[in-house]
Amino acid sequence: MSRAQKQIRDFSRMRLMVVGGVFFLFWASLWVRAGFLQIVQGPQLAEQALRQHMASEYDRGKRGVILDRNGQLLAKSVEFMAVSAVPKEVKNPEEASSALSKVFGVPQKDIQRKLTSHSNFVYLARRVNDRAAAQVKALNIPGVTLATEYGRSYPNKQMAGQLLGFVGYDDQGLEGLEKYFEPMLAGKKAKYVVQRDASGRRLYLDAQGREMANADGSDVRLTIDAQIQFFAEEALAKAVVDNKAKAGTCIVVHVKSAEILAWANYPFFNPNGGSDSDPKAARNRLALDVLEPGSTMKPILIAAALQEKVVRPDTTYNCEKGQWNFQNIATIRDTHPYDVLPVNKILRWSSNIGAAKIGMDLGAPKLHAYFEKVGFGQPTGLPLPGEAKGLLRPLSAWSKLDLATNSFGQGIGVTPVQLAQAFHIIANNGVRKPLRLVLDPVQDSAYWPETRVFDPQVARTVQQMMREVVEEEKGTGVKAHIDGLELGGKTGTAQKAKATGGYGDKYLADFVGFIPAVDPEYMILVMVDEPEPNHYGGVVAAPAVREVAIKSLSYLGRMPESVKLAQEQRPAAPAHAQGPTGTAPDVAEVLGVAFPPMNLSVNGAEVPNLVGLPLRKASEILASKGVVPSLKGSGLVVGKQNPAAGTPWNAVEKEPFTLWLAKAS
Amino acid sequence: MSVHAHSQAHVASPPIAAPRSGFDWWLVAFAVALAGLGVVMVLSASGIMAERMVHDKYFFFKKQAIFLGIGVCLMFFVAWLPRKILYGPVYLWLFVVLALLAMTMIPPFSVKAGGARRWMHLGPLLLQPMELAKVVLVFYLAYFYSSKQALVKSFSVGFIPPVIVTGILGVVLLIQPDFGGAVFLGMLFFLMSLVGGTRIIYLFVSGLFGAAAAVLLVVHSPYRFKRWFAFLDPFQDPQGTGYQLVQSFFAFGSGQVTGVGFGAGKQKLFYLPEAHTDFIMAVTGEELGFIGVSVILAMIGVLMWRSFRIALAQDDLRDRFTAYGMAMVLGIGFLLNLAVVMGCVPPKGVAMPFLSYGGSNLISGFLCVGILLNLSRRKPT
Repeated sequence: MSRAQKQIRDFSRMRLMVVGGVFFLFWASLWVRAGFLQIVQGPQLAEQALRQHMASEYDRGKRGVILDRNGQLLAKSVEFMAVSAVPKEVKNPEEASSALSKVFGVPQKDIQRKLTSHSNFVYLARRVNDRAAAQVKALNIPGVTLATEYGRSYPNKQMAGQLLGFVGYDDQGLEGLEKYFEPMLAGKKAKYVVQRDASGRRLYLDAQGREMANADGSDVRLTIDAQIQFFAEEALAKAVVDNKAKAGTCIVVHVKSAEILAWANYPFFNPNGGSDSDPKAARNRLALDVLEPGSTMKPILIAAALQEKVVRPDTTYNCEKGQWNFQNIATIRDTHPYDVLPVNKILRWSSNIGAAKIGMDLGAPKLHAYFEKVGFGQPTGLPLPGEAKGLLRPLSAWSKLDLATNSFGQGIGVTPVQLAQAFHIIANNGVRKPLRLVLDPVQDSAYWPETRVFDPQVARTVQQMMREVVEEEKGTGVKAHIDGLELGGKTGTAQKAKATGGYGDKYLADFVGFIPAVDPEYMILVMVDEPEPNHYGGVVAAPAVREVAIKSLSYLGRMPESVKLAQEQRPAAPAHAQGPTGTAPDVAEVLGVAFPPMNLSVNGAEVPNLVGLPLRKASEILASKGVVPSLKGSGLVVGKQNPAAGTPWNAVEKEPFTLWLAKAS
Repeated sequence: MSVHAHSQAHVASPPIAAPRSGFDWWLVAFAVALAGLGVVMVLSASGIMAERMVHDKYFFFKKQAIFLGIGVCLMFFVAWLPRKILYGPVYLWLFVVLALLAMTMIPPFSVKAGGARRWMHLGPLLLQPMELAKVVLVFYLAYFYSSKQALVKSFSVGFIPPVIVTGILGVVLLIQPDFGGAVFLGMLFFLMSLVGGTRIIYLFVSGLFGAAAAVLLVVHSPYRFKRWFAFLDPFQDPQGTGYQLVQSFFAFGSGQVTGVGFGAGKQKLFYLPEAHTDFIMAVTGEELGFIGVSVILAMIGVLMWRSFRIALAQDDLRDRFTAYGMAMVLGIGFLLNLAVVMGCVPPKGVAMPFLSYGGSNLISGFLCVGILLNLSRRKPT
C-alpha cells in the first residue's frame, strides 16, 4: 500500500467519521423531536386527534305510542330516513348535488346551495323512501349521511283525531294529547359519541343501538275504548249529517271509574294529514267550545234545590201556562203551556218557567255555589292543552233575570266536557270524581280529591226524575228508550245567542243519557250544534245516545240477552264487523252503505229475510240461531236465500241453509 | 500529525474487535428484527384499509412477509457472493438501472399511482427501480472514487462524471416525478463525494446551485411553495396543505409515552394517508408510543453503528466507499423518513427502510445489509 493511498484512506476515514458523527447528531435530534411531539405536545395533540375520531351525534329515540285501553294502537311512530350533510366535509358540492338531485328529483341548484352554505349541518331531504335512501347510500358521498327519523301515523285515520292531536315535522306534539304528553311521548334526544374514520363511517354500531333503546319515549294508554269510540263517532256523524247540523260532540263515560270511553268530535279530523285534515276540524270541541247548555242544566238546578231542601220532588210550581212576565223585564216561555207542575214534571217536560221559579227559591248565591261545585267556570283538569274554562260570571254580576235564565241553562257558558263532568256527579250518586282520559301514566288527581256534592238520596231522586224523561209518558227523551232497559236522560234545546245580541233561530240540541237510569253504569252525552229543521234535543240528540248505548252495551256484553236479539235485528251499521284490534273502517264509508228495509220477526220464530244483507251480518244472525249456512257464488252480499224468509225455524233444521252471494250493488 | 497517527493506530488495531470470521451478526439480527417489526406494523396499519379495499385484511401483511423472506435469503446470498461478482460491471449496472427507470414511463410496464410513474410491472410484481438505483449509484461512486483517487481533485475528471451520472438518474426521477428520490440520490452523491475526496468547494458550489434551482422551482409555483413550507406550520391549513403532517402529528401525539396499544391506533383509519408505507412510523408512534419509537431509534442506532464500523474497518477504498455508501442508503432513508413524518423537513415521499410496506424497499434494504455483511465477512488484505 503506497503512502498516498494510505493518506487518502485516512483522509476518507476522517471524513467518514465526521459524516457518522453528523448522522448520529441528526439521529439524536430526531429522537428529541419524537420526545417533544409525543411527550410535550402529546396530550394536546391527542385531544385534537380525539376530536376528529369522536363525533358527537344526536339522535332522537322513537316517540312513544298512544294506545286505547285495550292496547289498540291509536298513534304510532314510523321510521323514515333523513338525508343530511355537513357542507364543509363535502369535497365536491357540484358533483354531489347533481347526483343527489337525480335521486330526490329536486333542482340541482337547490341542493348545491345547501351544500355550499356555511352551516355546520343541513338537511337535504327528509322522509325519503327506502329506494332513495339506498341510492344515497350507494353514492357514498363523504359528508352526506343518512339518519333515521320518525314520523307519526294514526292507523285509525280520523278516530279520536281531535283528542289525539298531531305532531309537527320534527315529531313534536303540536295539538291534543300529543302536545300535552310531549315530554313523555317524545323520544329523548340522545347525545352519543361515536368513533368514526376519516370517511365519516361510524364504528361500533352495536353499542349505539343499545344506547338508543333507552332514548325511546314512553307510551300513553288512554281510557278510550276504540270500539266504543267508533260507535260514538258513527252515531254522532249520523246525527249531525241527518239533521243538517254544523257540528257535534259525543262523550261516553264509565260512571264508577269516571273513565272516558269515547271522546268524539264531528266533523272528523284526520291527524295523518291530507285532504280530510281540515285544520278547522282539528278543534277539540268537547273541551274548547263554550256553549249555553239550555235545559240540560235543569237536573243540576233541581239537584241543588233538593240538596238545599228548598224543594221536594212533589213541590209544585205554577208554570203560568207557558208565558211568564218576569218582573216586567222579560218574558220567559215554555215550549208547551203547563199549569201547575210538580218538580219531577218540570224536569220531565222541561219547563223553563218552573226551573226559573225553583232557581228563584234557591237563590243566586246557592245556585252559583253549586255551579262552582260541579265544576263550571274551571277547566276539568283533563290532559288537554288549552282547555276552555267556560263562562261563569261572578255572582256579583248576576241580576235577578240572570238567576232565572241560569236556572234553565242560559247566560252561562260551559264546555261539553264540563257538562259531562257535572252530570257525572249526579250519575255517581253525588260524588264528584275527576274524569279520566289516561290510564297510563296514572294522572295525578291529588289536587282534586273526590268530593261529595249531593247526598246519595238527592242524586237518586234526580236519577229517578231523569228516568221519567225517557221512560214516562210524554217525556222529552222518549226517543232514547231501549226495549228491555230503563234509561235516564235529559234533553236540551238551547237557542243560540246571536253575535249581534239576543237569541236567533240557531239551536244547540243535546241529550245526556244514564244507562241504566238508577245508579247508572254508563253516561252518554251527545250535543248537536245548529241542527235544522229539527232542533229538539229529544229528537236530534236522543236517538244518537240510544244508538251508542245499544252498540256499546252489546259490545261490552252488558245487554240483557233478550234485549240483544231484539236490537240486533233492527237495521244497524255493521259495526261489529271490526274487532277491537282491527282498523276501524272509515265512518263515512260505513255511513254510505244503505240497507234495504227488512221484515224481521222480532220474536225470532221464523227465518228472517237476509237478502241484501252483508254476508257477515247474515252469518251473525244465523249464528245466533245456531245455523251455519253453506255459501254459493262469490260476493259480500246475500243475493238469495233458502229456506225463504218466514219459514219457521224448526222447519229449517231439516234442510241445509244456503246463501247465494252477490256483488254489492 | 497527531490526528493521523491516532487514526492509523485505529486501523492497525481497532478498539472494538472487527469481525474476523463470519458475519456481523449484530447487523443481521437488527436488520431482521426491524423488518419483522415492520411486517407487524404493516399488518396493523393496513389491516382495515386492506379489508375495505380487497376484502382481505392480511393482504399487505402477507406480501410484506413474503418479501421479508426473500429479502433475508437475498441478504445471505449477497453476503456469500464473491466480491468480484458482486462488484461486477458497474457501468452495465448503471445502464440496467437507467433502462428500468425509463421503463417506468413506457406504457406496457408503466404503473401510475398517485399521479406518478415510479413503479413498473415485473411479471406479477411491482418494482420500484429507484430503490435499485440507490445501490447501483453507490457501486458506481465507490468504484469511481476509489479508482480515480489521483484525479479526484480535478474538476473535469474527478467531479463532472459522477455529477453527470447522478444528474441523469436524478432527472429521470424528476420526470416520474419522484422528487424525494431525486433528493435522495443528490444527498447520496454529496455524502459519497465528501468522503471520496472531492473538493469541498465543488460540493459547496454545486450545493448552492442545487439549492438555487430548488428555490427557483418552488418560488415559480406558489402552490408548490405553499405545499413545501406548510411543514413549518401545518396547523395553518389542517384540511389542505398541512393535512398529512397534522394527521401524522396527531398520531405521534396520541401515542404519548406508552402508546395506545398495538392495533388500537385510530389515525390509520384513513386519516393518515400512506399509513402503511411512508407514514408507518406515525402509526408506530401512536400505537407503541415514545417507548416504541425509542426502541426503533435504538435499533437504527445499532444498525448504523455496525454499518459505519464495517466501513471504517475496510482498508480497500472501494470496499470502504461501498460499505459507507450502503450505510448511507439506509441512513439517509431512516433520517429523511423520520424527518418528514415528524415535520422537520418539507414533505417528500421517502420510505422507511425495513419498516415501510413495499417489496422494493425491503429488498433494497436487505441488499444493502447483505453487501455490508459481505464486506464484514473477511478482510481482503
